[in-house]
Parts: sequence; C-alpha cells; structure tokens
Amino acid sequence: MNNLLQFLVKHIPWFVFIIYVIISCVLLFSNNPFQQSVYLSSANGISATVYEGYSGVSSYFGLKSVNEDLQARNTALELEVAQLKKAIHNYQLQIPDTSGILARSGRNFSYVVANVISNSVAQPANFITIDRGSDDGIVPEMGVVGHNGVVGIVNVVGKHSARIISLINPYTRLSCKVKKNSKFGTLIWNGEDYRYATLTELPRDGRYAKGDSVVTSGYSSLFPEDIMVGVIVGEDKAMSSNFMAMKVKLSTDFSQLKNVSALNNKMRVELKALETKDNNPSGTKKEEKK
Amino acid sequence: MAKTTVQFIILFVILVLVQVIFSKIMLFNVATPIIFIYLLLRLPIGLSLNAVFTIAFFSGLSIDVFNDTQGMNALACLLIAAIRTKVFYAFVTHDDESSAIIPSCKSIGTGTYLKYAGTLMLIYCFLIFFIQAFTFQNVLLTIARIFCSFALSLMLIYGIDSLVNTRREKR
Repeated sequence: MNNLLQFLVKHIPWFVFIIYVIISCVLLFSNNPFQQSVYLSSANGISATVYEGYSGVSSYFGLKSVNEDLQARNTALELEVAQLKKAIHNYQLQIPDTSGILARSGRNFSYVVANVISNSVAQPANFITIDRGSDDGIVPEMGVVGHNGVVGIVNVVGKHSARIISLINPYTRLSCKVKKNSKFGTLIWNGEDYRYATLTELPRDGRYAKGDSVVTSGYSSLFPEDIMVGVIVGEDKAMSSNFMAMKVKLSTDFSQLKNVSALNNKMRVELKALETKDNNPSGTKKEEKK
Repeated sequence: MAKTTVQFIILFVILVLVQVIFSKIMLFNVATPIIFIYLLLRLPIGLSLNAVFTIAFFSGLSIDVFNDTQGMNALACLLIAAIRTKVFYAFVTHDDESSAIIPSCKSIGTGTYLKYAGTLMLIYCFLIFFIQAFTFQNVLLTIARIFCSFALSLMLIYGIDSLVNTRREKR
C-alpha cells in the first residue's frame, strides 16, 4: 500500500499529463463542428474582441481591391437592371399583370449585413467569424453570402459574434446546379486550394463546358435559388465515377472577404416542421386526413 | 521570482496575440510561422512538470480557441512539454546547475540553443501538420509545409530570443 502511494505521488505529473492529453483528444476527435460550444470557438466574447481590433486595423489594407470589386459588381448590376427594366417593359406590353415575375425569387429572405472579423484560407477546415450575433438576429444554419456569391453557413452563435463554416471547409456540402441546364450536384471542397471546389454527383447525361456558371439550387432552405457560386474550369477526373465531377472556380475570393450578409429564410421554421413531418408516418397520415 | 513570473505572463499574452494573427498566414501556401512555442522553450528546466504541462495545455488551448482548431495545438504542446527536458539534456551535460537554467542563446550558447529549439520545433511542426492533415492524401504538400514552417519558425524564434534577452540586459 505504501509502495503504491509512493508510486502515485512520484508520478503525479504524468497523471496530470494524461488527463490533459485526454481532454485535448476529446476536443480534437469530437469532430462535429455543428455541435461545438460557443466558449471553445472563435465566436466567444474574448476572441471576438481581439479579432474586431485586428480587423479594424487590417480592413484598410484590402480596401482598394474591394472597391474595384464592388465597382465591377455595381456596373454588372446596373446593366442587369437596365436589361430587366427593358424586359419588364416588353412584358407589360404583352400582359398587363406582371407581379408574378417580379416577386418570384428571394421573396422569403431577409438579411443581416455583417463584417468579417476573422477568416482563414490555409487550414484544412476553414471558419469565418463575423461581428453580428444572436442580438442582431443571427441564428445557426443561416446561409451567408458575400457580394460575389455564396460564403458559408452559420453554425455557432454568440451574443455579438458568430462563426460561419466556410464554403472551403470539408464539412460544407452545398446543393448547386449548373445554370445552363439545371443539372444539379453537390459542391464539396477537397482541402487543397481555397480558390477551387468540386461539384460532384452531376448526372452524366448533361453537357458541361468550361465557363458554365454554377449557382445555388434552391433545394435547401438556406439559400434562395440562383445565387452565384462559381464557374466550371474543367472536369475533376479524380473525383468522377458513375457521376461527373467538375472543378469549380469559386466566385467569392475568400482571402479578401470583408462584408457579408446572413440570409434569414422567413419560411424556415415552417419548412423545417414540414420536413420533419415527412419523416414521421403518423404526421403524414394527419396531413392526408385534412 | 515574481519579476520573472510577470515577465512570463506579459510574454505569454504578446506571443498568443501575435500567434493568432500569424496562424492566418501561410506563405506560398507552405509556411506558417509558429512562435508561441517559444514560451515552452523558455520555461526553466527545473520547473515542476505539473506547471509545465498546465502552461503547455492552456497556451495550446488558447491558440485553438482563436483558430477553431479544437485541441490540436493543445495536444501537440503537451507532447512537446513532455519531451522538453529529455531533448535539453541530449545537448547539455547534466549537472547541479543545469536545472536552474532558462534556455536561451545566452545561457547555453547559440549553437546548442538552436539544436534544442530546432529539435522541438521540428517535432511540433510534424505533429501539428499530421494531426491537421490526418489522412496521407497530400503527403508531399504536408512534408513541404512541415519543413518550410519549421525553417521560418526557427528563424523567428531565434529573433525573438535575441530581442527578449537584450531587453533584459538593459534593465
């Protein structure tokens, strides 16, 4: 007994070591980023404060290219507005009531504008932290877009900050379609280059060419239809099998992300309730009776 | 003793804050500067293992919290803390005075210090990048990252070491 006690006392540091190792392994391998606590992620109060200070300084460095980007985007949008006005005018000549055309897309979404205060592109799993949180109406699983296209999905929300799972994170799976022929697939990121992702599970019967736009499919409640994701640059032969896989150049430049908008689907609660009902046979029956 | 502790805490805060920013950098897609390891390198050799492990765990964890890496740096730091003394005595002869040494270029000589810091740094980079990659899909990229980050970090640590020590001399 005495020997045992002596042994224990002598090796206390190694027990401490083992406890710490176990704690870090638990953290490391409880790998589901959707279920992490706010305190251990970058959305907690202290890191948000530090990042806000840091981004307050560093946000000036990229202003020029951000401005150029906005300018280009602005011009494109102005052109589009002009075209649409023309189109509406033409329709108005044909049919008197045009309300259906205007209100189709994006009707159910409101948005919250936020600044990116922390961002990474070099890690194998990338996250973004923004300076808006639950107090500003951010909730987990909101879609996030930048001015060039899709950015990611909100997962951990603090009071004044939130963490977004970036599109360039292996956990993100985004339902997308090729705009030209509406063939849809799943966008994933393979962890190599932050500028490119892969659109997998595309049906083989479609024709895909370099330069085709890839947009959101609108099948999930996170993003409205037709939000820009990227442009096809070629086939990803390594990932192709029964289905085609296309390498996609992402339209969002993740290395220079400054401002984003979190989209709030007003119908989300309703849609989610409906989806869970579908899985539940008794729920379906009730629906049928009605 | 109290003065050393205060100095250490200040160093801790500065290094962690700088590391938070450095972790976002990856030069040429291969080299990330890792400097907060300097904290662990600098702990006195004779310090009790309990304290060393605790400091290692919390410094690693604080980096993890900022970078959303969940325990990765904490684990690597712990392993570094565990082999630190052994590596030190591989390069420095074991005698009565050696346990009071705070490892630095001045106390054990530049060459020896670089060997000591380099060995630990290399092991750390190895651990971090293989935990990060976890699969061996891009072995070449991972190996390139290990060696480039190692070289960059070692240079920075040598720089920090000379900075910290001159400042102390002037006081």
